[in-house]
Amino acid sequence: MLAAIWGVTLVSFFLIRLIPVDPVEAYFAINNLPVTEEAIEEIREEQGLNKPLLFQYGLWLMNAVQLDFGQSFLTKTPVAEELLSRFSVTLGLAAAAFFIVIAISGIIGIWSVVKQGGLVDRFTRALVFATASMPSFWLGFVLVYVVSLKWGILPLMGWGTIEQSVLPAFTLALGYIPYYIRLIRTSMLEEIEKPHIAFARARGVKESIIIRRHVLKGILPALFTSLAMTCGGLLGGAAIIEAVFAIPGVGRYLVESMAARDYAVLQGFILIIGTLYVIFNFLADLLCAIVDPRARLKRGDI
Amino acid sequence: MKNWFTLILVLLVGVLAACSNTEKEQGNSNSETTGSDVLTMSWAKDIGSGNPHVYAENEMFAQAMLYDPLVTYGKNGKIEPALATSWETSEDGKTYTFKLRENVLYSDGTTLTAENVKRNFDAVLENSAAHSWLEAVAIIDHVEAVDELTVKVQLKEAYYPFLQELTLIRPLRMLADSAFLEDGTKNGIKAPVGTGPWVLTDYKKDSHAEFSRNENYWGEKPKLKKVIVKVIPDSQARTMALQNGDIDLIFGSGQLAPIEYQTLAQSGQYETKISDPLSTRILAINSTYGATKDKNVRLALQHALDRKTIIEHVLNDLEKEAQSLFAPGYPYSDISLDPYQYDTDKSIELLEKAGWKLEPGNEFRTKNGETLTLVMPYNSNEQVDKAIAEYIQGAWRELGIDVQLIGEEWQLMIARAKKGEFNLIANDTWGVPYDPHMYIRTMAGEQQIGYYAQKGIPTSDQLTDNISKVIRSTNEEERRKLYENILQTIHEEAIFMPISYRTNYLAANKRVQNLSFSMQQYEVPLNTYEVK
Repeated sequence: MLAAIWGVTLVSFFLIRLIPVDPVEAYFAINNLPVTEEAIEEIREEQGLNKPLLFQYGLWLMNAVQLDFGQSFLTKTPVAEELLSRFSVTLGLAAAAFFIVIAISGIIGIWSVVKQGGLVDRFTRALVFATASMPSFWLGFVLVYVVSLKWGILPLMGWGTIEQSVLPAFTLALGYIPYYIRLIRTSMLEEIEKPHIAFARARGVKESIIIRRHVLKGILPALFTSLAMTCGGLLGGAAIIEAVFAIPGVGRYLVESMAARDYAVLQGFILIIGTLYVIFNFLADLLCAIVDPRARLKRGDI
Repeated sequence: MKNWFTLILVLLVGVLAACSNTEKEQGNSNSETTGSDVLTMSWAKDIGSGNPHVYAENEMFAQAMLYDPLVTYGKNGKIEPALATSWETSEDGKTYTFKLRENVLYSDGTTLTAENVKRNFDAVLENSAAHSWLEAVAIIDHVEAVDELTVKVQLKEAYYPFLQELTLIRPLRMLADSAFLEDGTKNGIKAPVGTGPWVLTDYKKDSHAEFSRNENYWGEKPKLKKVIVKVIPDSQARTMALQNGDIDLIFGSGQLAPIEYQTLAQSGQYETKISDPLSTRILAINSTYGATKDKNVRLALQHALDRKTIIEHVLNDLEKEAQSLFAPGYPYSDISLDPYQYDTDKSIELLEKAGWKLEPGNEFRTKNGETLTLVMPYNSNEQVDKAIAEYIQGAWRELGIDVQLIGEEWQLMIARAKKGEFNLIANDTWGVPYDPHMYIRTMAGEQQIGYYAQKGIPTSDQLTDNISKVIRSTNEEERRKLYENILQTIHEEAIFMPISYRTNYLAANKRVQNLSFSMQQYEVPLNTYEVK
């Protein structure tokens, strides 16, 4: 796990420096100011951007280990502080979306399996097909238009209250719901085909117990792995949603920092996101091992 | 199974119920913030920390609300008093002496003094690398506080637009002593304390900022009590917020695309307004690169540009046709030049003359086996630039010109422009109070778009010589002649294609009154706005 995080630091540091245009040039370009090469060089020197890359990397890594991600070139404020305040917003949004994904796709997915071939199942399949082929930001606008502008039920934008979070979280979740309904449906159907289910049925175990104790438990490992990946995806996907709903989250900040080539911010962000990804996957493995003894054997001790 | 369902259902219903319950409270708090004397507007970005002496992340309109310059830019370029009530220029144009206004109060209660003004100048000079583009800073030798209310600025050389550049929104505006950090202002300030008409009273980064009227303002006080700025990055979301009544005002072409403006204007439900010309939207032609080295090709392009169609279809008639680099009314810019008319026959004739022939069976013109290809990079995030570029590509294909569009991120496009790897590129003049001297001056600076435009013409040396002369000249008549000469050369060599004069526009709720625009593109004249 530590090796993976170290890899992330390498990627976040060196990959960013492969992008053409450095922060000093970018600073003047976004301000549309015609500056001379000497002035740019002078500021580069002041910022330590002309030191050897490995030296810069070492310095950054040493500070990053102590959770000091340096200073934003643009705002001169500590990156850790800036990222933290915005991360809390984005994490809130992602978490809300995460629970909506689980709740809705769980209910619909299970229902469509239990009443397979029924009205709900057929309706669900049509719905899944339709929503999966719509971009979520567009759907977000439609939702805002109808729910906020026409009906006036929920606020248009902003962040901080529960009602302000309903629409953005739902919009963000929408993109993943069809995927999970399908995942739950197909893996449950697969599980049902398995001999131990047939055996349980033969023993006369109640259908609801079969579904709960055996089928659902059987699909959990696959679900956990997928959900771990989704956590990262939700954080990334939040950027567009944040712009549409004017939410002061990390995604928007990142887009602005990218335009300004604000190295310290970008590095800090990639490192944090990468680390979260690694942790989520680790947690997923851990959960798999708890629910499925076979995984424990295969992987040895965790 | 069943209890799972019920649990989740109860949760969902609970959340929905909570929403509808709090809905009423939300409505109440809304009407409170949008009450009389309070205007709520959107802005695409956060306003920044409010440091008057640095650039991005600070938004200029906010800096202009908080801070005052020594002098301001009036109608037709007349310099008018602000924090300085009078000023004198020495015979050689190198010494400027300012008499400061008495009893000007900062929002922290301290008084504006000559010492404080000097401190502001010194803070800017200390960060000179960042301000190297601005001659008014680079040219300052030192600043002296002569007495309590007299400031003397000593320049290294004469520089006639010095006063004009003092009117800029940044970096030469005045911050209170209490807000300075130990190392000046280049690494931030303690708090935004200025003498401006507004005081920042509440601020949440990336969310909103609240400005209250400065009750001690030395000039005419704003009519509004408060201005709330909500950060809404997405333009459609802004439009919806206006329709919903969440905001009262969307100001500026940066916030409203032409088509969105038109939709709002046509609905008749909003107050909409277009400003006078601000700056010029131009296409610069590179005289050092490929086919456009040839003057005849450049002339052919001038005659091939159909401004009317672009203005009607891309700009939705929001901008007026431009025939000169600077709009009439700019200082030194009222000279008569014979504009290039849209005339494709003439264009074809010129291309033929330059040796670019259309061989039968070919789509594009060729010369010695080479195709007439023009490289045109554009900023892929700028919808208007993109549409103009695409229109030109299509229209000029009929003339046998192959326009190669390169849509890329702004930073990459700038990097390409700096290397001079383009034939055509969108560029704007600077507008009030910079022009004409600022745009002209960049033409002499290496790596600039204007530099590549002029570098390849035969009279390039003479042109750059005139440019460096004109900004140093202390003689009005001489300046007039030099500018005339410069603008003449630019026109004759056909290195810039003016398309239209950029404008600002706004859309507001009907309850907002006395809407107007400032001379400066990046200033919102909120002082005069009122709400019913």
